[in-house]
Amino acid sequence: MNSTSINATLALVRDTFREAFARRIFWGFFGCCSALLLFLMFIMRIDVVQGAIATVTIFGRNTQSTDVEALVQQTQSVIAMILYFAGMALSVFASAGLVAAVFEPGRIELLLSKPVSRTHLLLGRYLGNVLVVAANILYLVAGSWIVFGVKTGVWGGGFLVSSLCTIFIFSVLLAVLVLIGVLWDSSAVAIMVTFAIMIITPILAQKATIERLLSSEWSRVVVRVLYYVLPKTSDVSVIIRHLILNQPVESWMPVWSTALFGAVVLGLGLWCFQRRSF
Amino acid sequence: MPEYAIETEGLTKVFRSRFSSRELRAVDDISLRVPAGSTYGLLGPNGAGKTTFVKMLLSCTHQTAGRAMVFGRDTRESEARRPIGYLPENHRFPTYLTGHDMLDFYGALSGMDAAVRRKRIPELLNLVGLEERAHNLRLGKYSKGMLQRVGLAQALIHSPKLLVLDEPGDGVDPVGRKHIRDVLQALEQQGVTIFLNSHLLGEVELFCREVAIIQKGKLALSGTVEELTSGSGYRIEGIGVPETLETELRIRARSFTANNGSLQLLFASRGDANQAIDLLRSNGCEIESLGRTRSTLEEVFMKTVEPQ
Repeated sequence: MNSTSINATLALVRDTFREAFARRIFWGFFGCCSALLLFLMFIMRIDVVQGAIATVTIFGRNTQSTDVEALVQQTQSVIAMILYFAGMALSVFASAGLVAAVFEPGRIELLLSKPVSRTHLLLGRYLGNVLVVAANILYLVAGSWIVFGVKTGVWGGGFLVSSLCTIFIFSVLLAVLVLIGVLWDSSAVAIMVTFAIMIITPILAQKATIERLLSSEWSRVVVRVLYYVLPKTSDVSVIIRHLILNQPVESWMPVWSTALFGAVVLGLGLWCFQRRSF
Repeated sequence: MPEYAIETEGLTKVFRSRFSSRELRAVDDISLRVPAGSTYGLLGPNGAGKTTFVKMLLSCTHQTAGRAMVFGRDTRESEARRPIGYLPENHRFPTYLTGHDMLDFYGALSGMDAAVRRKRIPELLNLVGLEERAHNLRLGKYSKGMLQRVGLAQALIHSPKLLVLDEPGDGVDPVGRKHIRDVLQALEQQGVTIFLNSHLLGEVELFCREVAIIQKGKLALSGTVEELTSGSGYRIEGIGVPETLETELRIRARSFTANNGSLQLLFASRGDANQAIDLLRSNGCEIESLGRTRSTLEEVFMKTVEPQ
């Protein structure tokens, strides 16, 4: 990658951030994350005596004492799950507009007239989008990790690693947004399809139960194929929980198969973008 | 440097419907050569295929057949677009950027280093008369005329060798249009090829040396403005023409007008015109003026695109 390519990539990333700032997307996320951090800093009071929590006070109410590390890990996993599901839904909703905006008539022609390949243009925008969301996820996770660390002295790294999993799943769902955006120019359709995947995949994660309920073999095959083809958001959330709670991860298949799905969908999006006339 | 800035061979674009067998030949087998350093106008009625043609030059639209080259390179290569500056017709610049930031963004995409952009942007803003407001005012607050001017600056950011302008005078007041024309004339002096797609025939006639007219996707006419507007007849204006000679000349002429002692005659051929001059001179008449008849570009355009 030469300096011209780096310049162009940086320009595309910077432009995505500016658009996210202008649409208040970035500040909306930042505000939510800051509110949660303030909650952790000021609402939760933890008194630790010899490695165990003497009292935990939330909204002025005491809860029973327990092991510090276990409580911190449980709280972190709750935050991670909120961030994973609610934050992901918000991120998808906010990012759909950022993707579709690039294909607006009058804007896309000007971008395509520049000496930058279509692949480079789309990947630059994709990277910018991932970084906008990643910046907020890392801010919240690192911020709350520091708050917990300072208040309790527990500095486990699982919570930090979980943020990378969240960013990874978002980048896979963003690939879906990109593909739908390229095909239909519609942020509404892109949101619907991505949300459908987010809703279906936790159901498919219960494939063993579903298969028992199905009578025909072909329908069981359909469920199995869908499970293995689609991203495994639910299974990855289990992995995140295991990482935070310092429990062994049974299988990394959900991660690599989801990564494969993301790579194929993004590749398809790039291919369609290459072939499309504007 | 290659002889031609733009060269197309059998360039064709067929739009096919996804759900039926209907198809539209938006551009049909157009072969065109735009010499490097020329000012070239592309004309045609709405829906003639001008914008599709321009989009194929920029590789925004993929051709169905044929090829397009810019300075000898196939436009499908991204590097072929490096010498092109483009101002689209219905542009939608990012409204969240200031004029300065917009130039910086497109400059970076054009492959310019930050230091070069820092030096170039104030020069361009000064050139298009936006140096005061471009730093603080977001593009969303710009008037149509200001957007056209900052758009022109955007097209010039990387000092292109070929400028492709789609309706540059659109929404600009006459003073602004004159300003844009002056900028373009200065660029022409520097050897920049200017390819203008415009409905304003007067603007094209004033500025372009060569034009092409597209009608229903096909190249209907091309040539220099001089050639296309020069008529097929000859006009002679004589003074003090005696009545007998006037009668004789009226019979020979294609048309005539008599006004306050002056007689204006229009002849179809050079031979007829020369004979008339001989007769006038041998009868001691004064010749006030003579020359070839000329049409306006609008007349040529209407004759080309109107159904016979």
